[in-house]
Amino acid sequence: MLEAWYLPGLEESPAEWLESRTRAGAAFRAPTLSVDQARAVAGSVRDAVREARETRSTGEVIESIARAAGKLSADGPEGHAARELLRSELGWNARLVRETLEGMSRTWTREALTGLVDAELGGTACLDGFVMDPLWVGPGQRSRRALGSPVVLQVLAGNVPGVAITATMRALLVRSGVLCKLPEAEPGLLPLFARLLAAEDPLLGNCVAATWWPGASFPAAWREWARWAGKTVVYGGDMTVEAVRRGLPADTDIVAYGPKTGIAVVLTDSPPSSAASLARDVCAYDQQGCVSPRLVYVVGDSTRPFVEHLAASLEAHTRLHPPPSPTTAEAVAIRAARTAFEFSGYEDGRSAVESPGESLAWTILSSEDPAARAESLPRVVWVHHVPDLQVLEEVLRPLEGRIQTLGYSGTEELKKLTGLAVRLSVSRIAPFGSMAWPPADWRHEGKHQLLPLVNWTDFETPE
Amino acid sequence: MTAPHGPATESLDLLTAELIAAFDGWRPETSSWDERTLDAWACRAFKAQFEGNTPYRNYCEARNVSPSDVSGWREAVPVPTEAFRVVDLLVGPDVDAELIFRTSGTSRGRSAQGRHLVRSPELYRASLRAGFRTFVYNEDNAAKIITLPPSFTQNPDSSLGWMLDDLRVGIGSGDGVSVASSSGIDWGKLDAEVGESAGKGRPLCLLGTTLGFAEWLERLEDGRSIGARLPQGSILMDTGGEKGRAGLERSSVMRGLGKRLGIPPEAMVNEFGMTELLSQRYGRGDPAIPLVGPPWLRSRVLDPVTLEELPRGETGILCHFDLANLGSVCAVLTEDQGRVIGDGIEWVGRTQGSPPRGCSLATAELLEAQGHA
Repeated sequence: MLEAWYLPGLEESPAEWLESRTRAGAAFRAPTLSVDQARAVAGSVRDAVREARETRSTGEVIESIARAAGKLSADGPEGHAARELLRSELGWNARLVRETLEGMSRTWTREALTGLVDAELGGTACLDGFVMDPLWVGPGQRSRRALGSPVVLQVLAGNVPGVAITATMRALLVRSGVLCKLPEAEPGLLPLFARLLAAEDPLLGNCVAATWWPGASFPAAWREWARWAGKTVVYGGDMTVEAVRRGLPADTDIVAYGPKTGIAVVLTDSPPSSAASLARDVCAYDQQGCVSPRLVYVVGDSTRPFVEHLAASLEAHTRLHPPPSPTTAEAVAIRAARTAFEFSGYEDGRSAVESPGESLAWTILSSEDPAARAESLPRVVWVHHVPDLQVLEEVLRPLEGRIQTLGYSGTEELKKLTGLAVRLSVSRIAPFGSMAWPPADWRHEGKHQLLPLVNWTDFETPE
Repeated sequence: MTAPHGPATESLDLLTAELIAAFDGWRPETSSWDERTLDAWACRAFKAQFEGNTPYRNYCEARNVSPSDVSGWREAVPVPTEAFRVVDLLVGPDVDAELIFRTSGTSRGRSAQGRHLVRSPELYRASLRAGFRTFVYNEDNAAKIITLPPSFTQNPDSSLGWMLDDLRVGIGSGDGVSVASSSGIDWGKLDAEVGESAGKGRPLCLLGTTLGFAEWLERLEDGRSIGARLPQGSILMDTGGEKGRAGLERSSVMRGLGKRLGIPPEAMVNEFGMTELLSQRYGRGDPAIPLVGPPWLRSRVLDPVTLEELPRGETGILCHFDLANLGSVCAVLTEDQGRVIGDGIEWVGRTQGSPPRGCSLATAELLEAQGHA
C-alpha cells in the first residue's frame, strides 16, 4: 500500500484512512484528517515558512531543492525508489519511467530553477530583501521586494507525473509553504520528494504538506486548509477548476491551469525524419500532457507519406516503450474512433487507420479533410491534411487560447505559422522532438510561473 | 472449413425465408438449437453478409477473414456499434431497407446518430414474437397487452415503438392497446385499463420503459393515478433500465409498482434490447438476471483490450451474435459491459467515457461545448 501523504505537524498517528487506486491499479492511502489536524498541519507549515524566511536565503532554498530533486533521477536508492514508484503508479515500463524522470529533472536543477527566478523576478535578491529599481525616474530612490503568501494551497487533479513537484517548487521559490491535494493518478512522487527535501533541510521539508482526498469531495479539512491559503493553485479540467472555485471563499486568489492541447504542424519542406521526432513527443507522456501532440496537420501534401513514416516510428518506439494497458473506457473509445475512421474510409477513401493490427498500442487516424476534433486517448494521433496555413487557422480558430504547444517541422512559411500561433494565443512554438519537454522557464499557459504567486512591495525613499 | 450446407452464393431472400420458418418453428421444449445448428446458420449468414454488405466485406478483408475462415458463430467478425453511426450496414442496396431505426443521439460526446437499416421486417417480427412468447407472454393467460411508450407512427425512428406496435397486434388475441399520447402517456386511459382489468378479471401485460414506470409509480404514490390489484397472470415488462434519469433505481421502481398492482417479482420482466440488434433478451424477477434469449441470439464476453473471450463469470465487453440481423451484420461488438451468468448474461452497464487525461484536452469536448461539433 502506497502512502500518499506527507504531513509534518500531524502529531498523533492517523486513525482513519481513505483508500483508492491509481488508474494503473496501484493501491494507495491517505489519512482522513480532522479539522483540528488540518489546522495543526497548516499552522506547522506556516511556522516553518516564517522560520525559513528568516534563516535561509532563496539561493540556499534552491540548492536544497535541486539536491533533493536530483536524487529522484540519479542511480542511488532514492532514484530507484522513484522509478519503482512511477512504474507502479502509472503502469509504465522501466525505460519510459527513466526517460520521463530524466526529462522532468532537467527543469529541477539549480541552474534551471535559478534561471526561472532570474527570468521572472530578475534574480533571487528581491525575494530576500529590497532591491533597488534602476528604472525609477522619480525623486529619491525606489526599491522593491517580492514575496509569496505564507501558504499556497495546491489542488492537482491531472495525471501528468511530476506536476505536483514542479508546482511545489514554484511555491517554495517565492518563499511560500505548500498545502497540496495530491493527484489520484500519481499521488506518490511529491511525498517522496518532500522526504528527500526534509533529509536535505528538515526546516524546508516542514514547509510542504500533502495528502489526498477523493476528487469530487471537499472535506472539512480542505475547507480548513483553504482558510490558511493566500493563493490557491489549481491544475485540472474546467469542471475541476470551477468546483474548486465554488468551494473557496469568493475573494480567494486562484491561479488556474486548465486543460490545453498540443498541435503539430508538418510544413511542406518537413524532412521524413521529423516523424520519428514527433513519435517521441507522442510517447513521452503517452498523450497525457497538455503539450502532447494530439492533432497533426500536414500542410499542402497528402497525409499519406507522413502517416507512413509516423506509423513506422510509433511502432519502433512502442517496441522500446510499450504503453501501459488502456483502461476499459479508453479501449472502447480507441476502438470506436478507429471504427469511425475505417468505415468512413470505405465510403469515401479520404480517411484511414494505421495501427498494429487489433492491438491498441498506438493508433493513427488520418483524414484528407481538415478538422479539429480529437479525443484524449493514449497514443492516438489524429492526422489531417490542410491545403495551406490560412485554412489551418480557420480550422484551429475554435481552439483559440487552448493550444499549449504548437509543434512544427520544416521551415517553409514558418514565419507565417508563428503569426498564426500568436493570433491563436498559443503558449509555445517548439520543433518536433521537444514538444513534450518545455524548459523550466517557459511561459506555462502563456503566463509567468512565479509572478502570479508573489506580492510586490515598493519602498520609496526621499532624495 | 466451409459452412456445412448452403449454396455457393447465398440467396438472401431464400435464407431469410428459411430463418423465418426456423424462428417460427422454434419451441424450446421440443426443438433445441445445438451449437452445430447455430454454426451452420452462422456460416451461411456470414457468407451472405460478406457477399452483399460492402462496408462489412471491406472490414472483414482488412482483417484477412473471408467466409472460408468462418466455421461458426464465434468466428464471424464483429462490427463495433460505432460503425452504425458512420455507414449503412445493409446487405444489398439501401433501397432494399424496409425500416430505418435510429440510435439515441449521443455517446461519449459524439453527437451523430447511428441507424440500423432493416431489410426484412418479417424476420425481425419472427424473432421478436418467438422470444416474447417464450420468455414473457403466456398465451394461456390471454393477458391484454398495454403499451406505454410512443408507437412507431408517433416516433418513426424507434425500434422500441415498432416492436411494441407489433406485439400489441400480433400476440394473444391482438386486441392490445396503446396508452401513449402526443404528450407522453395518457394516464386516464391507463387508469381505465387497469380498472377494467381488475373489474373483469382479465390480466394485463404492461409494457413500458423503466422511466415511464417510475413516473407511474410516483403518480400512484401521490394519488394522481388510480391503482388496483391486477388479476393473476398479469405481467410488467420494462425496458431501458436506469438510463435517462439520474438516481433512477429499476429495482425499487419495479418493486414499488408490483406492490401496488399486486404483481409478484416472478411476473416482472426486464427486456434488454438495442437498436443494433433485432433480437431481445429477457430477465425475470428481482434482480432480473440472467437475461436470456432465443438460441439464435448469443453473447460473448470479451477482454476490452485484447478482445479475447473471457472465462465465464468475468466482466468484460459484450459481443453479440444475432441471426435476426441477417440483413445487416450478425456480429456486433458493443460498448456495454457484462458477464455470462447461468444460461444468459448480466448487463453490468455502459462503458462511461474515458476520463480526461491529465491537463490534456479532448478537443472534441471543447468543440462540442462551443457548438462547433
